[in-house]
Amino acid sequence: MTTRILRSLIGGSLTGVGAVVAAGAAHASGMATPWQINLQDAASPVMERVHGFHNMLLVIQISIVVLVLGVLAYIIVRFNAKRNPDPSRTAHNTLLEIVWTAVPIVILVIIAIPSLKLLYFSDRAQDPDMTLKVTAHQWYWSYTYPDHGDFAFDSLPVAAEVLEAGQPRLLTVDNPIVLPVDTTIQVLVTTDDVIHNFAVPSLGLKTDATPGRVNETWVRISKEGTYYGMCSELCGVNHYYMPIQVKAVSKERFAAWTQEAKEKFAARPAPAVAAAPAQSIQ
Amino acid sequence: MAHGAAAGHGAHAHGEHDHHPTGWKRWVYSTNHKDIGTMYIVLSMIAALLGGMMSWYIRLELAEPGIQFIEDTQFYNVLVTAHGFLMVFFVVMPAMIGGFGNWFVPLMVGAPDMAFPRMNNISFWLTAAGLVLLVMSAFVGGGPGTGWTVYPPLSSIAYHPDAAVDFGILALHVAGAGSILGAINFIVTILNMRSPGMTMHRMPLFAWSILITAFLLLLALPVLAGALTMLLTDRNFGTHFYDPAGGGDPLLWQHLFWFFGHPEVYIIILPAFGIVSQLVSTFSRKPVFGYLGMAYAMSAIGVVGFIVWAHHMYTTGLGVNARAYFTTATLIIAVPTGIKIFSWLATMWGGSIDFKAPMLYAIGFIFLFVVGGVTGVALANAGIDFALHDTYYVVAHFHYVMAIAAIFAMFGGYYYWIGKISGKQYNECLAKTQFWLFFIGVNVLFFPQHFLGLAGMPRRIPDYPDVYAGWNMVSSFGALLTMLGTFLFYYIVFHTIRSGKPAEANPWGEGATTLEWTVASPAPFHTHEVQPVISAGDHGHGGHGHGAHPRPAE
Amino acid sequence: MLGAQARGINRTKLTAVILFAVVAAMGGLAFASVPLYRMFCQVTGFAGTPRTGAYVGTASAGAGAAGEVTVRFDANVNSQLPWQFQPVERQVVVRPGEEVLIHYRAHNFADKPITGTATFNVTPFKAAQYFNKIECFCFTEQTLKPGEDVSMPVVFYVDPQLFEDPNTAEVRKITLSYTFFPVETQAQQPSAGEKAL
Ligand code: HEM
Ligand SMILES: [Cu+2]
Ligand SMILES: [Cu+2]
Repeated sequence: MTTRILRSLIGGSLTGVGAVVAAGAAHASGMATPWQINLQDAASPVMERVHGFHNMLLVIQISIVVLVLGVLAYIIVRFNAKRNPDPSRTAHNTLLEIVWTAVPIVILVIIAIPSLKLLYFSDRAQDPDMTLKVTAHQWYWSYTYPDHGDFAFDSLPVAAEVLEAGQPRLLTVDNPIVLPVDTTIQVLVTTDDVIHNFAVPSLGLKTDATPGRVNETWVRISKEGTYYGMCSELCGVNHYYMPIQVKAVSKERFAAWTQEAKEKFAARPAPAVAAAPAQSIQ
Repeated sequence: MAHGAAAGHGAHAHGEHDHHPTGWKRWVYSTNHKDIGTMYIVLSMIAALLGGMMSWYIRLELAEPGIQFIEDTQFYNVLVTAHGFLMVFFVVMPAMIGGFGNWFVPLMVGAPDMAFPRMNNISFWLTAAGLVLLVMSAFVGGGPGTGWTVYPPLSSIAYHPDAAVDFGILALHVAGAGSILGAINFIVTILNMRSPGMTMHRMPLFAWSILITAFLLLLALPVLAGALTMLLTDRNFGTHFYDPAGGGDPLLWQHLFWFFGHPEVYIIILPAFGIVSQLVSTFSRKPVFGYLGMAYAMSAIGVVGFIVWAHHMYTTGLGVNARAYFTTATLIIAVPTGIKIFSWLATMWGGSIDFKAPMLYAIGFIFLFVVGGVTGVALANAGIDFALHDTYYVVAHFHYVMAIAAIFAMFGGYYYWIGKISGKQYNECLAKTQFWLFFIGVNVLFFPQHFLGLAGMPRRIPDYPDVYAGWNMVSSFGALLTMLGTFLFYYIVFHTIRSGKPAEANPWGEGATTLEWTVASPAPFHTHEVQPVISAGDHGHGGHGHGAHPRPAE
Repeated sequence: MLGAQARGINRTKLTAVILFAVVAAMGGLAFASVPLYRMFCQVTGFAGTPRTGAYVGTASAGAGAAGEVTVRFDANVNSQLPWQFQPVERQVVVRPGEEVLIHYRAHNFADKPITGTATFNVTPFKAAQYFNKIECFCFTEQTLKPGEDVSMPVVFYVDPQLFEDPNTAEVRKITLSYTFFPVETQAQQPSAGEKAL
């Protein structure tokens, strides 16, 4: 036990990290990279704006921390007991107090304006070209394509032992979501049991799946590629092991894929009652 | 510490007051605010060892990718849950409110004891019973693997069929009842039992912070109790408050929980503000800058804290206008928070600062609180929550701003007051070593978690994709340092009580102006039986650090 | 001195009594939040709760309205319920103010009668306050005999206000979702708690 602890705390993982660097290179977009320190690459309009907003925030955050640290450092050097044996007795300075109330308010307004813009942009109802329906289960996802023949399939994680080269552990699934690029997609999210959260960082998607309700969000994928996500609300024993994998393809390939998928995942039986047209009562 | 206090009192046979019970009865039946405070501190130190070991075990598991030690991932969830509950309800709250609050609020305001000494005893034992129930919950069935937020339906009978969650609920009920009684006790004491001349506007900021905290407890905990009761009846008596199949709504729980939960983080941090204000003033040998602004900033934080709860629920499907409102309200809290930081800096400015261990912790607190504060400003924005919700960015944020910041104030408070409590003074060199070990440790531990969170690593997972290996290893190394720092602290406490030098009544010099420094060390069993008279002429602004010269009772 | 002390004790007691009352009130508020929350959602359309009740729009409202909105239908069945449940028509295009009848269809696979009840919500959430349900199978519990196949009507209209409110004017698609849950039998679940409340 002790050696194991030591190994794992000191050196053991270095080899692991090395292997990861190699594997990670094959998946530059759509997931994090080793030692990454910032947001994942953006591949949707919302995530692009999140990047912009976060960059602005970072500047403000770092400035505030540096300012406070600087003042602290000056105080430590200048006002220690040795250099300043006689403390001042100043306990008030109205002007100063007004300034340090007013300046933060200005900074907050500077933050709030782009923040609310981003929020309302992300919420703006789009006229979607298609719908993806997401249903969470303990511990896998199932996806329905109501506009393409209403076929549905389950998406289960692939065990580490059977992964192929380049497939990331804990992120790879047997049946990924396939979606077309440059298409506005309505995403409906719900669950069959506990609360889960459907999240794909690069696409700026993160929406709770709550029993008894259907949440809506949207995405428009800008680049072809594979995007990964993980369930982001504690949902029980295998919470860590219900990945989300999105394959974004061209519209043509998407059309071809839906044809195959319809057969592969045998569409659900159509309603027995002949589709009666909607009636206007008025 | 219990031994120290006991020894201290024993040595200090106090003639006419010597009729108090001895042996186990002294503690079990205690109605003395100092003894009860000591018991709270001991309880907190025990719980800290448990909660700490859980977190180090968690970090050990997370040191490298793959499942290393915790094969049963339900047990991982139980560890996370228990760690959160222990630290919040049984480490920070008992130490700051029950421990330092009990010890020093009556001393600082010049009251002979708490208003309701028997109720004080009940508060403590309810908290202790809560701790026992919470520890038991981890051993019932699979344990509660719900996170400290206990969201249904995961916490419902269908997904946690054994009694573990019920034990957890009872633990919180019992501890919550204890805290409510304690809060009433503090409010009554502070409002009605101050010494003549100790006006509200002369009261030390630590007493102010406990007063405001007590009001938050009073308003927030009953809501948690109600919400927990509904969860309990949903689980056991077939009600459907949170069950959509029966017309309930799981989101109702989240609203109620966070209506309690957000004020709860202020319940943790306000007493820390109070302690840091005393430390900064004492060791700068200056009165607190902007005393009134500080007191009212704390009150403002308390009030606004009740109308921001849904910033924890941005991804649940709240309407956009609701999210815009909660974003704005949350950002506003940064203003009074900023006032506090700047006032501490201004208190130090022009001071003659003595960098004793408590002061190092106060400065460390300010640093951690600023770092956690600026990430809080990011998390306030609903628009960016798509990227940050439920990631390690959140874990880093709340440990900086609340958890570790509070621990820093606690360590500062321990070193500051241990002489008054035990009659022995700690070893400065050991304490400074402990500070640096812990300070470096927490930053190595939690700073990289910002990177992990931004890069998308979810929280509450026992295993993670291999790309996150690097920073996780660094973070776990930091945890190792905090473990050493914590053990060193326990050794210092032991060392102080065993072989510390006798403490003077006031070891800190002219900067320490509050009333507790006017009584002997260790503080006698009974203090302020004849209330000290505070007069404005003595010190301008009274006991909050303006060089008060109260006339002590003895 | 003694008088002052007695007064002090009374004030102390009074403060304590007031504080206990505050605790009781806040505890009560937690329970009161159950009906209050529901009312709040219904009144404001919060969290996608559509309005229900009789038609209150004016006949002229629909006339000449420039906008049309597509209403799409979504169906979910909890896996504890052995039913199939689907909208008959996937979507309809409606004019504002127009009263529309659509159907869902449900089928009971089980060999015993089963009662279900449906929750519902509208997305985008902000459109919910302008989505009015006049008649819906979800207002009551539904019991299906073994193998039974039923068609279940919904009558609704979209308030023309939808197009005038700047917050919702861009909405062109509204989704109405249902989730069917089994109703537990009395034997298993002794009381419907919050109804009793
Ligand atoms: C050295 C000390 C500490 C370490 C190493 C530590 C470590 C951790 C870690 C790694 C997690 C996240 C686990 C996960 O999400 O999988 C966590 C969660 C948490 N910690 Fe700490 N922590 C420490 C101190 C504290 C303190 C002092 C407090 C409280 C005041 C605290 C409160 C919490 C809470 C509330 C959670 C969230 C639990 C949940 O997700 O339900 N921690 N801690
Ligand atoms: Cu999940
Ligand atoms: Cu909060």
